[in-house]
Amino acid sequence: MQIEESIKGWGQLSSDEIADTPVRPLNRSSFAMRIILLILSVLTIYALSTIDYNSVDIKKAVSDTLSNFKTMFLQPYSHRFSLPDAFYGVVVTMGLAFLTTLFGGIIALFLGLLAAQNLGLKQVANIIKVFVAFIRAVPTILWVLIFAVSAGLGSAAAVIGMTFHSVSYLTKAYSESFEDLDRSVIEALMASGANWWQIVFQAVIPSSVTYLLSWTFLRFEINFANAVAMGAAAGAAGIGFDLFMASGFYFDLREVGLITYFILAFAMALESLSTNMKGRLRKRI
Amino acid sequence: MALLELRNVTKCYNSASTALSDVSFSVREGEFVSVIGPSGAGKSTMLRCINRMIEVTGGEIYFDGVIVSKLNKRDLRKLRTKIGMIFQHYNLVDRLTVIENVLHGRLGYKSTLAGVLGRYSQEEKGQAFRIIKFLGLNEQVYSRCDQLSGGQKQRVGIARALVQNPKMILCDEPIASLDPNASKIIMDHLRNVSTGMGITMIVNLHQVNVALKYSDRIIGVNKGKVVFDGSPAELTPERIYDIYGSESGDLIVDLGERNAS
Repeated sequence: MQIEESIKGWGQLSSDEIADTPVRPLNRSSFAMRIILLILSVLTIYALSTIDYNSVDIKKAVSDTLSNFKTMFLQPYSHRFSLPDAFYGVVVTMGLAFLTTLFGGIIALFLGLLAAQNLGLKQVANIIKVFVAFIRAVPTILWVLIFAVSAGLGSAAAVIGMTFHSVSYLTKAYSESFEDLDRSVIEALMASGANWWQIVFQAVIPSSVTYLLSWTFLRFEINFANAVAMGAAAGAAGIGFDLFMASGFYFDLREVGLITYFILAFAMALESLSTNMKGRLRKRI
Repeated sequence: MALLELRNVTKCYNSASTALSDVSFSVREGEFVSVIGPSGAGKSTMLRCINRMIEVTGGEIYFDGVIVSKLNKRDLRKLRTKIGMIFQHYNLVDRLTVIENVLHGRLGYKSTLAGVLGRYSQEEKGQAFRIIKFLGLNEQVYSRCDQLSGGQKQRVGIARALVQNPKMILCDEPIASLDPNASKIIMDHLRNVSTGMGITMIVNLHQVNVALKYSDRIIGVNKGKVVFDGSPAELTPERIYDIYGSESGDLIVDLGERNAS
């Protein structure tokens, strides 16, 4: 009897009350969101309509760009540059990426443990998280230039600056992976008398090791791209520096094309290698 | 002689809410004690106060001749090795194998470095294998814990507690997430461990009929107070009403089994 009545109640509810209630009521946050979108679109339209491009011949600009692209990518060639030279350059760049990821990973592992809410003191974790967020907010290239003040432009500044940024990135990624582990598992081991280091190495790291690996490999790929840029911008040698010389010093578009292809090929090889290694490591763990 | 004694134990989370008020009882060595009561009555808090996973606000807890609340960090660790704990959600490291999880029970006895590196002696491994075999898990020794069923996981939980060589095991709703079949297996194992090895058991339960069937003694808790403490035979329907605050006719409790036996 009771059940039948309640079913009848549900039926009435659906027929008259639900009809004109919106699914997402207009509250403060959705109102703010709409206002922001409106302002942004007005600004965009205004900027586009008042932009000053009368000195640029658009037709010519487009055709020039296309022809430059054509020389760059369809006729790659270099007369100063041999394959072993280019290979050496890429190896130097990769060394830069490897070194910074390795340093960054080791430091970030410990900082990540301290920054995980479920492992350490909440205050310490929050301080580290804020600090690391600050470092991350500044782009890698700026850190390299800041460290160049003391270390001088070159590979030393690039290694320190890129490590700095890698540490902050990986600390966030690692600590979030650690936080994935249920508090109750840690409780269980604490109840059996295990201490903090034992819990970290016997439960926390084994449960999050695949996340740690994929974040580290991702950071390695980012660092490879960064290392190319550092070579050009901070004089950290490697293929990036060759690219900078070819474009900014010799104005040799064909060489730029060749180097770009070389970097692309290497990045793809790296990507497939890291995917392969990740797969193999996962199978073993 | 009493292995465990609680004297006027009180626990307040803040000035407003009291989880435990003035709880006193003692448990003999080898006794199988069930703690029953509605959700939020303080059963879990009481269990966790015993091995100081939660600090008490007042009163004393004596275990095996020492005052639990006065222990320093090192002695507390030593005390916890003597008390095993089993959980509703098993709390195993899912990515590790059964044997690795069971050996975690030995961590409390090891130096930090040996524990970090996971170096266990031949003797410890042998004991772990014996316990796993005793619990009927020898086919799953090397399977990962996320591949096990709930009942099997709980047996790994029991093995992890047993490998500690505990004097007492605290069970926090060990069968609340299990089907009746697995529940029976787990409760039988707990009972066997208690009678066969002389290990004291304190088991939080939701099922009154299970408590009636397996325990030597039942403690009823409501709103942080002990409202019943006696043998299963003394737990009449009126007493159940005191504990749960409703007519036992309304509860899904089968008292028939006890009357039949």
